[in-house]
Amino acid sequence: MHHGEYKVPGGKLIVADFNLTDGIIHDVQLSGDFFLSPEETLGRMAATLEGMTVMDSDEAIADEVRAAAGDAELIGITPEGVAQAIRRGIAGGEQ
Amino acid sequence: MSPRAADAWRAYGWQLVRAPALAPLMHMALDETLLNALIAGERPPMLRVWEWAGPAVVLGRFQSVRNEVDPDGAARYGVDVVRRITGGGAMFIEPGNTITYSVYAPAELVAGMSAVESYAFMDQWVLDALATLGVQATYQPINDITSPGGKIGGAAQIRRGGAVLHHVTMAYDIDATKMLQVLRIGREKLSDKGTASAAKRVDPLRSQTQQSRSAIVERFIATFRDHYGLADTDASDDELAAAAALVESKYATEAWAKILP
Repeated sequence: MHHGEYKVPGGKLIVADFNLTDGIIHDVQLSGDFFLSPEETLGRMAATLEGMTVMDSDEAIADEVRAAAGDAELIGITPEGVAQAIRRGIAGGEQ
Repeated sequence: MSPRAADAWRAYGWQLVRAPALAPLMHMALDETLLNALIAGERPPMLRVWEWAGPAVVLGRFQSVRNEVDPDGAARYGVDVVRRITGGGAMFIEPGNTITYSVYAPAELVAGMSAVESYAFMDQWVLDALATLGVQATYQPINDITSPGGKIGGAAQIRRGGAVLHHVTMAYDIDATKMLQVLRIGREKLSDKGTASAAKRVDPLRSQTQQSRSAIVERFIATFRDHYGLADTDASDDELAAAAALVESKYATEAWAKILP
């Protein structure tokens, strides 16, 4: 498993847990102490990351997450923050 | 608080809901039961002060069990791990060390406010109560209640069906050694808080006020009553039965408790 954490400045903690196979991201779980409404949004944000790769840019990851979030209310969590948590999980290696 | 804001609160016939000490799962379920009662018009807006029957870790809706809880530590101290309906962070609860309350209000009370604004607005009365106890508490956005000596507590909100549930847990006292054996508190979470030690982040009310826990709770209730009006009630047998059913159908299930393993 890969594990990355990112504290959004002035916001909350975002945690990404996922597996990497040949550079492809899968089995993604996003969690943290943020607020999100409707609650089902978090699963959609995690699901949209399935199949992205270590070559995708932070901007590309954030764009995917933003699209999955749609018009949900995000408090203390940002698409850019999710990308940072993913990036740190990749950089941190297999755990 | 401006007179106009106090008028908005006073426009409702607030009820205080008292209940016996309850198991952590029952508290989760009673929160949802009373929120539903407000939405259904069965209850006016309410304040509920919680009495805990046992120790717990209360996870936020979006937190992962394995990232937040040390299972060995929780088992060693008989701590129930439960999940609430609101977001926010994990709370380590010991009955005599914790002050928890819920406010169930029409969402119109916070209409037009940002999240940051509504958190502070919903707790203005409790900041006033703390001031009468000599604690200069303030809101640290988004949802922390803090004082010059350190963090006092945290709040969480959910809006649903035209209503808002706002609940708060404060540290009356803290066993930091035990807390650090039960919760996993990572460095990243503390990265922009300005302190290196999780234990040092919290400055509990006992040392700040030199008052008993019950005296502080009663001051909170008296301040709410003075500001906004408050009629005494008890949680009804029907409400407690509905909460018990909700424990079985939702809060005690793995599908809920481990929705984020």
